Amino acid sequence: MPSSPSAPTPPAPSDFSPLPLPQPGLARLVSIAYPPLLLSAYAASFSSIIAAPAPALLTLLPLTAALQVFYAVLCLPLSAQNSNSKAQPAKAVQRKKSRHGDWIPRLSTALIALIISLSLGTAVLAITLVLFGAPITTHIPETLACAAHMALLAGVPLVYVHGVDAERWRAVAALLMPMDEVYGAAVGVLLGVWIGAIPIPLDWDREWQKWPCTIVTGAYLGWAAGKALGVGLRGKVVVV
Amino acid sequence: MHPQTRTILLTLANLLIPAGILVFAAGFFPYKPFLPGLATHHALAAPVPAPRFDRVVFMVVDALRADFVFGNASGFAYTQRLIRDGSALPFTAHAASPTITMPRVKALTTGSIPSFLDVILNFAESDTSSSLAHQDSWLAQLKAHNGGGRLVMYGDDTWLKLFPGLFARADGTSSFFVSDFTEVDFNVTRHVKRELRNDDWNAFIMHYLGLDHIGHKTGPHGPHMIPKQAEMDGIVQQVHEAMLKEPHLENALFVLCGDHGMNDGGNHGGSAPGETSPALVFISPKLKEISTGRECPTAPKEDFDFYAKIEQSDVVPTLAALLGFPTPLNNLGILIPDFLALWPDAVDRTQLLLRNALQLSNIVKAAHPSPVYANPKAEIACAGDLSSGQELACLWKSTHSAPPSSALEALYKFSRAAQSTMSSAASNYSITLLISGIALSALALGISVCATFSHKALLTPDGVVLALLSVLYAVMMFASSYVEEEQHFWYWSTGAYIAYLGVQNLRSTTPSKSSKSPSKPPRPSPLLPLLTLLALHRLVTRWTQTGVKHTGSPSITTFLTHPAQAPLLSACIVYTYIDTARALSTSLLTTFNPPPFAAWLSALAPTVPALLFRAAFTANDAPELLAWLGPGAVEMLAGLPLVPLARGVFALLAAQALVVLLRRRRGRGAEILPVLRALLTLLLLMQTRATNAPLFVLFRLSFTSLSALLSPARGARRAVKLGIAGLVLGRTAWFAMGSSNAISGVDLSSAYNGVSGYNVLAVGVLVFVGNWAGPIWWAFVCVEGLLESGGRGWVRREWEALGEEGGELGVYMGVLTVFTAGGLAAVQVACTVLRQHLFIWTVFSPKYLYAMAWGLGFHLLVGVLGGLGVWRVGRG
Repeated sequence: MPSSPSAPTPPAPSDFSPLPLPQPGLARLVSIAYPPLLLSAYAASFSSIIAAPAPALLTLLPLTAALQVFYAVLCLPLSAQNSNSKAQPAKAVQRKKSRHGDWIPRLSTALIALIISLSLGTAVLAITLVLFGAPITTHIPETLACAAHMALLAGVPLVYVHGVDAERWRAVAALLMPMDEVYGAAVGVLLGVWIGAIPIPLDWDREWQKWPCTIVTGAYLGWAAGKALGVGLRGKVVVV
Repeated sequence: MHPQTRTILLTLANLLIPAGILVFAAGFFPYKPFLPGLATHHALAAPVPAPRFDRVVFMVVDALRADFVFGNASGFAYTQRLIRDGSALPFTAHAASPTITMPRVKALTTGSIPSFLDVILNFAESDTSSSLAHQDSWLAQLKAHNGGGRLVMYGDDTWLKLFPGLFARADGTSSFFVSDFTEVDFNVTRHVKRELRNDDWNAFIMHYLGLDHIGHKTGPHGPHMIPKQAEMDGIVQQVHEAMLKEPHLENALFVLCGDHGMNDGGNHGGSAPGETSPALVFISPKLKEISTGRECPTAPKEDFDFYAKIEQSDVVPTLAALLGFPTPLNNLGILIPDFLALWPDAVDRTQLLLRNALQLSNIVKAAHPSPVYANPKAEIACAGDLSSGQELACLWKSTHSAPPSSALEALYKFSRAAQSTMSSAASNYSITLLISGIALSALALGISVCATFSHKALLTPDGVVLALLSVLYAVMMFASSYVEEEQHFWYWSTGAYIAYLGVQNLRSTTPSKSSKSPSKPPRPSPLLPLLTLLALHRLVTRWTQTGVKHTGSPSITTFLTHPAQAPLLSACIVYTYIDTARALSTSLLTTFNPPPFAAWLSALAPTVPALLFRAAFTANDAPELLAWLGPGAVEMLAGLPLVPLARGVFALLAAQALVVLLRRRRGRGAEILPVLRALLTLLLLMQTRATNAPLFVLFRLSFTSLSALLSPARGARRAVKLGIAGLVLGRTAWFAMGSSNAISGVDLSSAYNGVSGYNVLAVGVLVFVGNWAGPIWWAFVCVEGLLESGGRGWVRREWEALGEEGGELGVYMGVLTVFTAGGLAAVQVACTVLRQHLFIWTVFSPKYLYAMAWGLGFHLLVGVLGGLGVWRVGRG
């Protein structure tokens, strides 16, 4: 049930369509195998993140960035093609035809998405983290590194498929986008980060309870879970 | 569900809540029965061993932590020398939680472990049930000893309240303004010289408060700490030199002790190592017989454990043995082994310990009856799985079968076991009452859930949010660290709730291409109020560091109270009053349309005296914050009469509220609510800590942003959202103002505003209003917000016509009741399940006390009754 109380008539499910599932074959395989791969990479660097969060997160950043770009290029449709989603089937056919020739625009779009995410996305997410309680007088490198990872996980695919269209981003912010693996992953990152704050005040006195270890872990786990759920619940709109 | 049925059910649930609270409390905080009367010497074959001392000088230094005396950075040079040469025996006396003065004095005098009830009674100090007039203590024993002794007492008036009429001479000091480091102690010291010359007393008690005040003010490492320790050391020197010189003090015993310690923030009440480790030193030249001196200063074994660690109550039987009076009846202490060497005869030593053990066995057998206490030869099972009572009986039996060579050891074994068993709280609960209390709260929860969730406004994500909030809160009650650091939960969930409201607003304002509804006027973007509210929330949560782990760490408050920022703090506070006066005059103008100067005049009438009171109070309480005004101005302000000033402000506020209420226009009551809100803010500003005052400006701005975010919501849906908003923002405000679930979190500084004598009701109300200022403010504005939506004339009819189900008030109250009943039941279940938990007295019991205050004081009186009052004014 939609809860927007001012609208007496329930709004249409969404003005937008979910992304198509990746093409069977290499793209789908990569899309499925990718989350375990990235999570393993994160798990491998977990102990060094606990030892020194900011430098370790910074070291991990290029790997996550490269993998996210690779994933976007290989598995996700381009933003321009997705802009008029009503004509999806035709586009899909068209894309299939030009499959071998469009890797240059794909790669450049992914790199632009990477730049936008890392700059604007990191800034916006860092501010959001602070608004939600991140330390502001201390731990600034840690918070920035955490925000950068969130921007890579949530931002790169979103910018890649939705571009910088204000209307689409408004729908993204209002949770009006239909679920798909990209949107699910982004929502998962935010929820994971929020839930990741829970263990910090416990009196277990463990090293990993320090800022922002649980937050980044929450981001990665939330990303993977959200991506999977996004596929499972594809097309559904979040009820808020 | 019919609205009337809902009202009846909610009323029922709200009647069950206090019943559940009180029934559970009766089972959880049982009134500890004590054995009445005075102990007499047990008639044993051997005579009572001869006493080694005939009088005692008992010097309590409030909050004297062990390291202050024994550590390297100490001002107690003379005392340390006495320890080195053997004239003084040092100990660390473990003080059980709650580490506040009255229960500690009880333990130091009666040897019993005070019940948790004493915590409440510590605040209701005039209550006679906490008096020890009819309980056995070493004071009562000394007074009755040898046909009548005389006791003299100087210092903390807690002693005078505990022992009314017991002292031959006394001069009590109250510890109201903690900024007073010198007067409180001078008031004791001026009597010392004279009393040391007098020989008519057999107990001379001193209780110095200055060190505790310094701790509260500047922490254990503040600049005044070492000089104060040196001052106390000077008193020790004065007494010790008199003991060497004066013949009547030849057989005097001098005891120097702390009643409790302090944590690194300088506060106490809880169970941190610093708080539970006060110093204890026995001083007399005679002690050189048994001691060759100890290394001093020295390093602690761990935390604050210096030398031997004993229980605070052990002081009582030790004094009894040394001065030769019977051990007080309710004592749970054990004679300190080090002193046994003062009696060269082994029979005497066994006698002393046997008498101590006999007295302990009297308490044990009342709780765990066994035939062995009447006849030590009785046959009882002493193998296999034994209860603690059976184990004690077996130990008692073995003390009688032990050969003389190991008698002492067997007696100590029994005594220690008796002490630990009887001190543990487990034996006192009434499980029937605990379960009944839980059942009543659970019933209240069930009924309120039925009444509330039957409304369709709850069958929405809002209902899910409420359920999630309640369930998470309930789960959290079982984690001790989350009880201690509960603020994190509220800061965390408030941020998410604000984001949730923002997303909802954004959804309802996002134009839908496919929507068939006619084009509506574009709504303002929620981005600005959303970000403003989040930023304000962030600022509010950073205002004070509360909880246990980080209390006193850097925060906006610590920044503002730094002497260098004092003018800035004053400016912020003054601005708060100006802001409130402006809100008052503006609302007066819009409501009654008086000439502008009249509106300003009526706004300034209560504001100026209130600000003056704040300044005068600060000049007394924290003069360093006003030092920048110059000494003359501070002195002038400190000289203002506080009580009449406070009464005047209260009277002006009440009069203005009354006039506004009487002059409101029929059917347009809602328009006077902003006036009442401003008056309420002024009242709360009177009671809250000075450093919290600027928060009210932040709250006002937050409420404006919240209203903007909620603007699309109507009717019952709006009521649910406001109900949850009031819950989360009110709790956030409570913690942000420095409150916590620890006993030491209670702010008593405004307890006596306008009260000259002691009046339980007035002081209770003032303390409550002071500590709950933030939640009270939010409870008011949320009902005000409720009236803004469907509350007025045509808007309401329009929404009813649109099919929105009415009953905002019922739903709003339902939300509050569901959360309160659910939270209460969770705390009660946690306290019952974890009643054997290590932290039951330090974490869960204080939490239950706070749950009582939230349920009875805040939910019923403020949330429900106050809310109904505001609603009626607004609708009338």
